[in-house]
Amino acid sequence: MALSTARQPATGARAKPGRSGKPRESRLRRQEGLAGYVFLSPWLLGLMAITAFPMLFSLYLSFTNYDVLASWDQVEWVGLDNYRRMFTEDPSYWHAVQVTLTYALIAVPLKLAAALGVALLLNRERRGVGLFRSLFYLPSLLGGSVALALVWRAMFSGDGAFNDLLAFFGIHGEPWVNDPAWALETLMVLAIWQFGAPMVIFLAGLKQVPTELYEAAAVDGAGKFRQFWNVTLPMLSPVIFFNLVLETINGFQGFTSAFVISNGTGGPVYSTLLYTLHIYNEGFTEFRMGYASALSWVFLIAIGLITVVFFTTGRFWVHYSDGDD
Amino acid sequence: MHPATSPTAGVPAGRNHRTPLSRRRFVRGLAVVALAAPLALGAAGCGDDKGSGDPDAPVTIQFFWWGGEARAKATEEALKLYTSKHPNVTITPTWQAFDGYYDKLATISAGGNAPDIFQIDDNGLGEYAGRKVTLDLTDLVKAGKIDLSKHHPELTKYGQVDGKQIAVASGENTPAMIYDKTRLAALGVDAPQEGWSYQQFVDWAAQVTRKGGGKYWGTMDPSSDYKALWLWLRTQGKEFYNGKQLGFTEADLVSWFKLWQDARTKGATPPADIVHEAVTGSVATQLVVTGKAAISFMWSNQLSELQKATKNDLAMLPYPGDVKGQWPRASLYWAASRTTKHREVVADVINFLVNDPEAAKILGTDRGLPANLDVRKTLEAGITDPSMKATFDFENGLAPKFGAAPPVPPKGHSGLRNKLRDIAESVTYGKATPEAAAKQFFAEASAALA
Repeated sequence: MALSTARQPATGARAKPGRSGKPRESRLRRQEGLAGYVFLSPWLLGLMAITAFPMLFSLYLSFTNYDVLASWDQVEWVGLDNYRRMFTEDPSYWHAVQVTLTYALIAVPLKLAAALGVALLLNRERRGVGLFRSLFYLPSLLGGSVALALVWRAMFSGDGAFNDLLAFFGIHGEPWVNDPAWALETLMVLAIWQFGAPMVIFLAGLKQVPTELYEAAAVDGAGKFRQFWNVTLPMLSPVIFFNLVLETINGFQGFTSAFVISNGTGGPVYSTLLYTLHIYNEGFTEFRMGYASALSWVFLIAIGLITVVFFTTGRFWVHYSDGDD
Repeated sequence: MHPATSPTAGVPAGRNHRTPLSRRRFVRGLAVVALAAPLALGAAGCGDDKGSGDPDAPVTIQFFWWGGEARAKATEEALKLYTSKHPNVTITPTWQAFDGYYDKLATISAGGNAPDIFQIDDNGLGEYAGRKVTLDLTDLVKAGKIDLSKHHPELTKYGQVDGKQIAVASGENTPAMIYDKTRLAALGVDAPQEGWSYQQFVDWAAQVTRKGGGKYWGTMDPSSDYKALWLWLRTQGKEFYNGKQLGFTEADLVSWFKLWQDARTKGATPPADIVHEAVTGSVATQLVVTGKAAISFMWSNQLSELQKATKNDLAMLPYPGDVKGQWPRASLYWAASRTTKHREVVADVINFLVNDPEAAKILGTDRGLPANLDVRKTLEAGITDPSMKATFDFENGLAPKFGAAPPVPPKGHSGLRNKLRDIAESVTYGKATPEAAAKQFFAEASAALA
């Protein structure tokens, strides 16, 4: 997304001289566009069948009392009942909202900070740096898996390996995943640990920063921190923006770790009841698929709104250098 | 493509929200949806091959259950015995662990592909019967296709929902406290006794904790377990459910929570986090297995499974309070799908599993004592396994004291059970008072049972 936005000024500049020959170019464009759609058609069909239809269908279901098991003749239109129930009659909903916001607000910035920090360290060409890049990237390949969530649960239980390690240093650990005060934090650590994917993108971004900027800054007497603040960060801001949007959406969609670690309960005492887990439980454990659909749509709109906020505020801090070259 | 997948499918689509969508493309999209919708819905109606009258025509039956390795082996063997006698029948067995079983059953049932025969328990029976997923077996029983004449009448009744025979009990069990004999002897504490009041039981457990030296507790805290609450209510002549409503009051629930709060302050039960490990987990995480407490609140047929997981000697006992709270409960049932195309064969397979002596021998007591009393006697005469013997002795000892079977929990039970778990845990963790928790439970219960 950020990349396409980044190119906009450039295409605008190129289009300017051709403005006199507008009709010809637009016919050519239309033909190209048509060919594009033809080539896209397998994907478009897939989008319609696999994404668009079920999505619209779930929108319809969100206004019904659809229950996974009941037959179609038992499905009734209930209007906005599901939406009303969500905001007024379902205390678990507010638990889920609170848990998800806490999770995303803390885990996402920390994950990005970790990714950027390690990317800066691994940016220099040194012997063996490739190995370290792979090692740091590895958790993001494995981290979302059920197996790793199981390991996490075993490691961070009251008598798990982590507390054994703490005991070695004479520290008495908490029961982490079994303690409402710590369970969500344990999930956050698991999420942050998977910083490899944004790290790789940051690395690619860092490579793009022209070295002459640092040289110029150094000549002007800027220290390392000054260079980071005034050169690296602004030059990297489109990549930061990209990672921020992507990781926020990812963060809101966290499910596997919470599901596995809490055995699908969102416990102890709602502490790991992520929004997606609440959707799952309503839909599949309590069979209220209509209500679960309504929950999903509110969630989709909320994520959409947050992304819009990012794009609006992005104008003020994201620096696109392409136009200045 | 199935609607059941749509809510989750709706989520990742958040990424696409920037895709420019021209009006024309949008309209075109709608047209495709309009075309696709009847196709998708119609697909469920296709492929009906009406069963021919020929009894020897080849038939394939889908068969689904949950359980462990041992149960799988026995069940597959029993099914093989059936197909060897009926070569025209092919049975496709599918099994998995309990975790996720009901999710999968719900999903495939929603897709119209419910297995012809599936295992279910009283937590799910009301849910599935209430939504008419299950086949009404009443006529097949009346016609003698499934012979229930030798079955324990209370077990047969416990397979009925609204007067219809929805399922057939595949075994009988009762709630049972399983205790660690070896450990109690080592600590020099006498084994708990049948018929103790809850107060006596809690005092006994506190004594175990005192002798246990800090890392061992008297008993699991079952306050979040619906079956423990149910039995406690029944010892006082009350019920968990009264028809489609709760059969107890907010005050009852407050005293239940207070009972275990008191046990906690006396040290009879472990801290909340250790209790939580066993609440959410399976056999492997039960406190008698992990060696953290002397008592686990389980079912009688689980003794042998727990025994396999620990070196210590285990034994069992009814839950505290008056034993008349117990009833002959169908541990598990066989149920059939309403959409099955082979009603007669399905009935015959179920009949075979519950009435055939050879099948009973293969199946053992893994799903509880056989429901057919004649078969039960034959099986009992030939047992050698000590924990199977213990299961028999336990149930036989209880039999004369049993109370009447309650109706099967109604539709909405699975949700309510989870609410009890979560709300009771908020008391265990000290996040809510018994009064506030009971109030919250009652506020949420009406919505769950609606």
